[in-house]
Amino acid sequence: MRLVIGAAMALALAAQQKAPALKVPTEADWTAIAKLPDFTGVWEQTFGGGGRGAARGRAGGPPAGPQLTAAYAAKRQALVSKGAEDKDTANCLPPGMPGIMGQPYPMEFLLTPGQVTIVIEAYSQVRHIYTDGRPLPEDPEERFFGTSIGHWENGTLVAETVGFSPLTELAPNVPHSEKMKIVERFRLTDPDTMSIETTITDPEALTAPFTSTRTLRRHRAWTIAEYICEENNRNSVDANGKAAINIKK
Amino acid sequence: MRIGSSGRLIIAGSIAALALSTASVSAHHSFAAFDMSKQQTITGVVSRFDWTNPHTFIWVDVVNDKGVTETWAIEGMSPNYLGRRGWSKTSVKPGDKITVSIRPLKEGKTGGMFIRAQIGDRVLMPTGAPTDER
Repeated sequence: MRLVIGAAMALALAAQQKAPALKVPTEADWTAIAKLPDFTGVWEQTFGGGGRGAARGRAGGPPAGPQLTAAYAAKRQALVSKGAEDKDTANCLPPGMPGIMGQPYPMEFLLTPGQVTIVIEAYSQVRHIYTDGRPLPEDPEERFFGTSIGHWENGTLVAETVGFSPLTELAPNVPHSEKMKIVERFRLTDPDTMSIETTITDPEALTAPFTSTRTLRRHRAWTIAEYICEENNRNSVDANGKAAINIKK
Repeated sequence: MRIGSSGRLIIAGSIAALALSTASVSAHHSFAAFDMSKQQTITGVVSRFDWTNPHTFIWVDVVNDKGVTETWAIEGMSPNYLGRRGWSKTSVKPGDKITVSIRPLKEGKTGGMFIRAQIGDRVLMPTGAPTDER
Protein backbone atom coordinates (compact mmCIF):
# COMPACT_ATOMS: atom_id res chain seq x y z
CA MET A 1 0.00 0.00 0.00
CA ARG A 2 2.77 2.41 0.93
CA LEU A 3 4.52 1.58 -2.31
CA VAL A 4 1.38 2.42 -4.26
CA ILE A 5 0.97 5.73 -2.44
CA GLY A 6 4.64 6.48 -2.93
CA ALA A 7 4.40 5.76 -6.63
CA ALA A 8 1.29 7.92 -6.93
CA MET A 9 3.05 10.77 -5.15
CA ALA A 10 6.05 10.45 -7.44
CA LEU A 11 3.76 10.58 -10.45
CA ALA A 12 1.93 13.60 -9.06
CA LEU A 13 5.26 15.29 -8.43
CA ALA A 14 6.40 14.54 -11.98
CA ALA A 15 3.18 16.04 -13.33
CA GLN A 16 3.70 19.13 -11.17
CA GLN A 17 7.24 19.53 -12.39
CA LYS A 18 6.13 19.52 -16.02
CA ALA A 19 4.60 22.98 -15.62
CA PRO A 20 7.26 25.68 -15.39
CA ALA A 21 7.40 27.67 -12.15
CA LEU A 22 6.41 31.33 -12.22
CA LYS A 23 9.53 33.42 -11.61
CA VAL A 24 9.76 35.56 -8.52
CA PRO A 25 8.28 38.94 -9.53
CA THR A 26 10.49 42.00 -9.42
CA GLU A 27 9.48 45.62 -9.00
CA ALA A 28 9.98 46.01 -12.75
CA ASP A 29 7.48 43.18 -13.38
CA TRP A 30 4.84 44.98 -11.33
CA THR A 31 5.65 48.30 -13.03
CA ALA A 32 5.21 46.65 -16.43
CA ILE A 33 1.67 45.63 -15.46
CA ALA A 34 0.75 49.27 -14.87
CA LYS A 35 1.47 49.92 -18.55
CA LEU A 36 -0.98 47.23 -19.74
CA PRO A 37 -4.62 48.04 -20.51
CA ASP A 38 -6.68 48.19 -17.33
CA PHE A 39 -8.69 44.97 -17.32
CA THR A 40 -9.19 45.05 -13.56
CA GLY A 41 -12.62 44.88 -12.01
CA VAL A 42 -15.87 43.08 -12.66
CA TRP A 43 -17.33 42.64 -16.12
CA GLU A 44 -20.58 41.22 -17.44
CA GLN A 45 -21.79 40.49 -20.92
CA THR A 46 -24.13 43.07 -22.33
CA PHE A 47 -27.75 42.21 -22.89
CA GLY A 48 -29.68 43.01 -26.06
CA GLY A 49 -28.34 42.81 -29.55
CA GLY A 50 -27.17 39.25 -29.66
CA GLY A 51 -29.34 38.30 -26.70
CA ARG A 52 -27.44 38.54 -23.40
CA GLY A 53 -24.30 39.18 -25.40
CA ALA A 54 -24.50 35.79 -27.02
CA ALA A 55 -21.66 34.94 -29.30
CA ARG A 56 -22.22 36.65 -32.62
CA GLY A 57 -20.86 36.19 -36.08
CA ARG A 58 -18.15 38.46 -37.39
CA ALA A 59 -20.41 40.94 -39.16
CA GLY A 60 -22.46 41.52 -36.01
CA GLY A 61 -25.35 39.66 -37.61
CA PRO A 62 -27.14 36.63 -36.23
CA PRO A 63 -25.01 33.96 -34.60
CA ALA A 64 -23.12 31.99 -37.20
CA GLY A 65 -22.94 28.32 -36.30
CA PRO A 66 -19.82 26.21 -36.49
CA GLN A 67 -19.21 24.52 -39.85
CA LEU A 68 -18.94 20.85 -39.01
CA THR A 69 -17.19 18.02 -40.78
CA ALA A 70 -19.47 15.18 -41.91
CA ALA A 71 -18.32 13.02 -39.00
CA TYR A 72 -19.12 15.70 -36.41
CA ALA A 73 -22.35 16.72 -38.10
CA ALA A 74 -23.39 13.09 -37.60
CA LYS A 75 -22.31 13.20 -33.96
CA ARG A 76 -24.31 16.37 -33.46
CA GLN A 77 -27.36 14.83 -35.14
CA ALA A 78 -27.08 11.75 -32.93
CA LEU A 79 -27.04 13.94 -29.82
CA VAL A 80 -29.97 16.03 -31.02
CA SER A 81 -31.93 12.87 -31.86
CA LYS A 82 -31.45 11.58 -28.31
CA GLY A 83 -33.62 14.52 -27.32
CA ALA A 84 -32.14 15.05 -23.87
CA GLU A 85 -34.33 17.50 -21.97
CA ASP A 86 -31.39 19.08 -20.21
CA LYS A 87 -27.63 19.17 -19.81
CA ASP A 88 -25.34 18.15 -16.97
CA THR A 89 -25.21 21.78 -15.82
CA ALA A 90 -28.66 21.05 -14.33
CA ASN A 91 -26.78 18.67 -12.02
CA CYS A 92 -24.29 21.49 -11.27
CA LEU A 93 -21.50 20.20 -13.52
CA PRO A 94 -19.73 23.35 -14.78
CA PRO A 95 -19.73 23.66 -18.58
CA GLY A 96 -15.97 24.26 -18.96
CA MET A 97 -14.57 25.92 -22.08
CA PRO A 98 -15.82 27.58 -24.13
CA GLY A 99 -19.30 27.60 -22.55
CA ILE A 100 -18.17 29.02 -19.20
CA MET A 101 -17.30 32.31 -20.94
CA GLY A 102 -20.90 32.73 -22.09
CA GLN A 103 -22.72 32.65 -18.76
CA PRO A 104 -25.13 35.39 -17.65
CA TYR A 105 -22.91 36.18 -14.66
CA PRO A 106 -19.96 38.55 -14.24
CA MET A 107 -16.26 37.77 -14.22
CA GLU A 108 -13.27 39.55 -12.71
CA PHE A 109 -9.85 39.96 -14.31
CA LEU A 110 -6.70 39.96 -12.18
CA LEU A 111 -3.32 40.88 -13.67
CA THR A 112 -0.21 39.76 -11.79
CA PRO A 113 3.32 39.14 -13.06
CA GLY A 114 3.31 36.19 -15.44
CA GLN A 115 -0.42 35.49 -15.48
CA VAL A 116 -3.92 36.74 -16.04
CA THR A 117 -6.53 35.20 -13.77
CA ILE A 118 -10.23 35.23 -14.59
CA VAL A 119 -12.55 34.73 -11.64
CA ILE A 120 -15.85 33.52 -13.08
CA GLU A 121 -18.90 33.87 -10.87
CA ALA A 122 -20.96 31.15 -12.58
CA TYR A 123 -20.26 27.88 -10.75
CA SER A 124 -17.44 29.73 -8.85
CA GLN A 125 -14.79 28.94 -11.44
CA VAL A 126 -11.27 30.25 -12.09
CA ARG A 127 -9.17 30.34 -15.28
CA HIS A 128 -5.41 30.90 -15.34
CA ILE A 129 -3.74 32.31 -18.45
CA TYR A 130 0.07 32.19 -18.16
CA THR A 131 1.78 35.17 -19.79
CA ASP A 132 5.34 34.35 -18.69
CA GLY A 133 6.44 33.07 -22.07
CA ARG A 134 6.04 29.36 -21.39
CA PRO A 135 4.98 27.24 -24.40
CA LEU A 136 1.72 25.35 -24.69
CA PRO A 137 2.09 21.77 -23.43
CA GLU A 138 2.70 19.27 -26.22
CA ASP A 139 0.66 16.55 -24.57
CA PRO A 140 -1.83 18.51 -22.43
CA GLU A 141 -4.02 17.14 -19.68
CA GLU A 142 -7.71 17.03 -20.58
CA ARG A 143 -9.29 19.72 -18.44
CA PHE A 144 -12.57 21.63 -18.32
CA PHE A 145 -10.68 24.88 -18.95
CA GLY A 146 -7.80 23.38 -20.91
CA THR A 147 -4.34 24.84 -20.42
CA SER A 148 -3.93 28.51 -21.38
CA ILE A 149 -0.99 30.70 -22.27
CA GLY A 150 -1.20 34.33 -23.35
CA HIS A 151 0.74 37.26 -24.69
CA TRP A 152 0.04 40.93 -25.36
CA GLU A 153 -0.19 42.38 -28.87
CA ASN A 154 -0.61 46.18 -28.84
CA GLY A 155 -3.01 46.20 -25.93
CA THR A 156 -4.79 42.97 -26.86
CA LEU A 157 -4.40 39.91 -24.67
CA VAL A 158 -4.18 36.90 -26.96
CA ALA A 159 -4.86 33.66 -25.09
CA GLU A 160 -4.34 30.23 -26.59
CA THR A 161 -5.89 27.20 -24.96
CA VAL A 162 -5.54 23.48 -25.66
CA GLY A 163 -6.42 20.19 -23.96
CA PHE A 164 -10.10 19.92 -23.09
CA SER A 165 -12.15 17.42 -21.14
CA PRO A 166 -14.46 15.31 -23.32
CA LEU A 167 -17.23 16.54 -21.00
CA THR A 168 -17.01 20.02 -22.56
CA GLU A 169 -18.71 20.96 -25.83
CA LEU A 170 -17.43 22.98 -28.79
CA ALA A 171 -20.98 24.35 -29.18
CA PRO A 172 -24.40 23.11 -28.02
CA ASN A 173 -24.63 19.40 -28.94
CA VAL A 174 -21.27 19.55 -30.72
CA PRO A 175 -18.45 17.54 -29.16
CA HIS A 176 -14.81 18.37 -29.85
CA SER A 177 -11.77 16.29 -30.67
CA GLU A 178 -8.60 16.28 -28.59
CA LYS A 179 -7.20 18.69 -31.19
CA MET A 180 -9.58 21.56 -30.39
CA LYS A 181 -7.76 24.84 -29.86
CA ILE A 182 -9.32 28.10 -28.68
CA VAL A 183 -7.77 31.51 -29.31
CA GLU A 184 -9.30 34.46 -27.48
CA ARG A 185 -8.48 38.11 -28.14
CA PHE A 186 -9.38 40.35 -25.19
CA ARG A 187 -9.24 44.12 -25.74
CA LEU A 188 -10.82 47.33 -24.51
CA THR A 189 -12.95 49.09 -27.13
CA ASP A 190 -13.63 52.00 -24.76
CA PRO A 191 -12.64 52.54 -21.11
CA ASP A 192 -15.41 50.31 -19.73
CA THR A 193 -16.15 48.01 -22.68
CA MET A 194 -14.29 44.81 -23.44
CA SER A 195 -14.47 42.75 -26.60
CA ILE A 196 -13.61 39.06 -26.57
CA GLU A 197 -13.19 37.54 -29.99
CA THR A 198 -13.08 33.74 -29.74
CA THR A 199 -11.84 31.54 -32.55
CA ILE A 200 -12.13 27.78 -32.27
CA THR A 201 -10.22 25.44 -34.55
CA ASP A 202 -10.56 21.67 -34.56
CA PRO A 203 -9.28 19.79 -37.62
CA GLU A 204 -11.52 16.81 -36.87
CA ALA A 205 -14.74 18.65 -35.99
CA LEU A 206 -14.63 21.86 -38.05
CA THR A 207 -14.11 22.60 -41.74
CA ALA A 208 -13.33 26.25 -40.96
CA PRO A 209 -12.38 28.26 -37.87
CA PHE A 210 -15.44 29.20 -35.81
CA THR A 211 -15.23 32.82 -34.66
CA SER A 212 -17.63 34.70 -32.41
CA THR A 213 -17.44 37.94 -30.44
CA ARG A 214 -18.80 38.90 -27.05
CA THR A 215 -19.08 42.37 -25.52
CA LEU A 216 -18.70 42.98 -21.79
CA ARG A 217 -19.37 46.08 -19.67
CA ARG A 218 -17.33 46.95 -16.59
CA HIS A 219 -19.33 47.43 -13.38
CA ARG A 220 -17.11 49.38 -11.00
CA ALA A 221 -19.49 49.01 -8.07
CA TRP A 222 -19.86 45.22 -8.35
CA THR A 223 -17.98 42.48 -6.58
CA ILE A 224 -17.97 38.80 -7.48
CA ALA A 225 -20.41 36.81 -5.37
CA GLU A 226 -20.19 33.15 -4.48
CA TYR A 227 -22.16 30.67 -6.58
CA ILE A 228 -22.34 27.31 -4.88
CA CYS A 229 -24.54 25.41 -7.29
CA GLU A 230 -25.05 22.55 -4.83
CA GLU A 231 -26.42 24.94 -2.17
CA ASN A 232 -30.05 24.45 -3.16
CA ASN A 233 -30.12 22.82 -6.58
CA ARG A 234 -33.56 21.35 -7.15
CA ASN A 235 -33.15 20.77 -10.88
CA SER A 236 -31.64 17.62 -12.31
CA VAL A 237 -31.29 15.49 -15.40
CA ASP A 238 -30.83 11.71 -15.40
CA ALA A 239 -28.66 9.50 -17.61
CA ASN A 240 -31.52 9.18 -20.12
CA GLY A 241 -31.79 12.95 -20.45
CA LYS A 242 -35.02 13.22 -18.45
CA ALA A 243 -35.24 16.52 -16.58
CA ALA A 244 -36.81 16.80 -13.15
CA ILE A 245 -37.39 19.34 -10.41
CA ASN A 246 -37.60 18.60 -6.70
CA ILE A 247 -40.34 20.63 -5.03
CA LYS A 248 -40.25 18.85 -1.69
CA LYS A 249 -40.07 21.68 0.81
CA MET B 1 -56.89 42.13 -19.66
CA ARG B 2 -57.92 44.84 -22.09
CA ILE B 3 -57.85 43.86 -25.71
CA GLY B 4 -56.40 46.52 -27.95
CA SER B 5 -53.18 48.18 -28.89
CA SER B 6 -52.24 49.08 -25.31
CA GLY B 7 -52.99 45.54 -24.17
CA ARG B 8 -50.78 44.23 -26.90
CA LEU B 9 -48.02 46.55 -25.74
CA ILE B 10 -48.18 45.15 -22.23
CA ILE B 11 -48.01 41.61 -23.56
CA ALA B 12 -45.03 42.49 -25.75
CA GLY B 13 -43.29 44.00 -22.73
CA SER B 14 -43.92 40.90 -20.65
CA ILE B 15 -42.58 38.66 -23.38
CA ALA B 16 -39.43 40.77 -23.70
CA ALA B 17 -38.90 40.59 -19.94
CA LEU B 18 -39.50 36.87 -19.99
CA ALA B 19 -37.10 36.36 -22.89
CA LEU B 20 -34.45 38.12 -20.84
CA SER B 21 -35.19 36.13 -17.72
CA THR B 22 -35.42 32.81 -19.48
CA ALA B 23 -32.14 33.40 -21.31
CA SER B 24 -30.47 33.78 -17.97
CA VAL B 25 -32.15 30.84 -16.31
CA SER B 26 -31.17 28.67 -19.25
CA ALA B 27 -27.53 28.94 -18.31
CA HIS B 28 -28.09 26.43 -15.54
CA HIS B 29 -31.00 24.30 -16.73
CA SER B 30 -33.59 23.98 -19.48
CA PHE B 31 -37.32 24.68 -19.27
CA ALA B 32 -38.29 21.05 -19.75
CA ALA B 33 -39.99 20.87 -16.35
CA PHE B 34 -42.18 23.92 -17.07
CA ASP B 35 -45.11 24.41 -19.41
CA MET B 36 -43.83 27.46 -21.25
CA SER B 37 -47.08 27.78 -23.22
CA LYS B 38 -49.07 28.50 -20.06
CA GLN B 39 -49.19 31.36 -17.62
CA GLN B 40 -50.93 31.01 -14.29
CA THR B 41 -51.46 33.33 -11.34
CA ILE B 42 -51.60 32.10 -7.78
CA THR B 43 -52.32 33.98 -4.55
CA GLY B 44 -51.33 32.85 -1.09
CA VAL B 45 -49.14 33.45 1.93
CA VAL B 46 -45.36 33.09 1.83
CA SER B 47 -44.07 30.41 4.19
CA ARG B 48 -40.38 30.60 3.21
CA PHE B 49 -38.03 32.44 0.84
CA ASP B 50 -34.88 30.57 -0.22
CA TRP B 51 -32.31 33.25 -1.12
CA THR B 52 -29.99 30.59 -2.49
CA ASN B 53 -28.01 29.52 -5.54
CA PRO B 54 -28.51 28.39 -8.17
CA HIS B 55 -32.11 29.62 -7.82
CA THR B 56 -34.30 31.42 -5.38
CA PHE B 57 -37.49 29.69 -4.29
CA ILE B 58 -40.61 31.33 -2.94
CA TRP B 59 -42.74 28.84 -1.00
CA VAL B 60 -46.40 29.84 -0.93
CA ASP B 61 -49.34 28.32 0.95
CA VAL B 62 -52.30 28.44 -1.44
CA VAL B 63 -55.83 27.43 -0.50
CA ASN B 64 -57.25 25.53 -3.48
CA ASP B 65 -60.89 25.51 -4.60
CA LYS B 66 -61.58 22.54 -2.30
CA GLY B 67 -60.44 24.54 0.70
CA VAL B 68 -57.25 22.52 1.05
CA THR B 69 -53.94 24.34 1.60
CA GLU B 70 -51.28 23.38 -0.95
CA THR B 71 -47.57 24.21 -0.90
CA TRP B 72 -46.40 25.91 -4.09
CA ALA B 73 -42.70 26.20 -5.02
CA ILE B 74 -41.84 29.14 -7.27
CA GLU B 75 -38.38 29.03 -8.83
CA GLY B 76 -36.75 32.37 -9.58
CA MET B 77 -33.43 33.77 -10.69
CA SER B 78 -30.33 33.44 -8.52
CA PRO B 79 -29.63 35.80 -5.62
CA ASN B 80 -26.51 36.90 -7.51
CA TYR B 81 -28.57 38.01 -10.49
CA LEU B 82 -31.48 39.47 -8.54
CA GLY B 83 -29.28 41.09 -5.90
CA ARG B 84 -27.70 43.28 -8.59
CA ARG B 85 -31.17 44.30 -9.77
CA GLY B 86 -32.75 45.64 -6.65
CA TRP B 87 -33.86 42.51 -4.85
CA SER B 88 -32.58 41.46 -1.43
CA LYS B 89 -33.00 38.55 0.95
CA THR B 90 -35.92 40.44 2.51
CA SER B 91 -37.75 41.24 -0.75
CA VAL B 92 -40.07 38.37 0.13
CA LYS B 93 -40.81 37.49 3.76
CA PRO B 94 -42.71 34.72 5.50
CA GLY B 95 -46.24 35.95 6.16
CA ASP B 96 -46.35 38.19 3.06
CA LYS B 97 -49.58 37.88 1.08
CA ILE B 98 -48.34 37.41 -2.46
CA THR B 99 -49.78 37.12 -5.97
CA VAL B 100 -47.38 35.44 -8.38
CA SER B 101 -47.52 34.89 -12.13
CA ILE B 102 -45.72 31.72 -13.16
CA ARG B 103 -45.03 29.26 -15.94
CA PRO B 104 -46.56 26.24 -14.19
CA LEU B 105 -44.79 22.93 -13.77
CA LYS B 106 -45.99 20.18 -16.05
CA GLU B 107 -48.20 17.32 -14.81
CA GLY B 108 -50.16 19.62 -12.53
CA LYS B 109 -47.45 19.84 -9.90
CA THR B 110 -47.80 22.73 -7.48
CA GLY B 111 -44.95 24.93 -8.63
CA GLY B 112 -43.63 27.00 -11.47
CA MET B 113 -41.13 29.49 -12.79
CA PHE B 114 -41.39 33.06 -11.55
CA ILE B 115 -42.57 35.71 -14.01
CA ARG B 116 -43.64 38.53 -11.69
CA ALA B 117 -45.17 39.02 -8.27
CA GLN B 118 -47.06 41.58 -6.27
CA ILE B 119 -46.84 42.03 -2.50
CA GLY B 120 -49.06 44.90 -1.37
CA ASP B 121 -48.01 47.87 -3.51
CA ARG B 122 -44.69 46.34 -4.51
CA VAL B 123 -44.23 44.69 -7.88
CA LEU B 124 -41.32 42.28 -8.17
CA MET B 125 -39.92 41.59 -11.62
CA PRO B 126 -37.15 39.11 -12.49
CA THR B 127 -35.28 41.91 -14.23
CA GLY B 128 -35.68 44.23 -11.27
CA ALA B 129 -36.85 46.84 -13.78
CA PRO B 130 -39.21 49.46 -12.39
CA THR B 131 -42.77 48.93 -13.50
CA ASP B 132 -46.06 50.73 -13.19
CA GLU B 133 -48.07 47.64 -14.04
CA ARG B 134 -50.63 47.03 -11.35
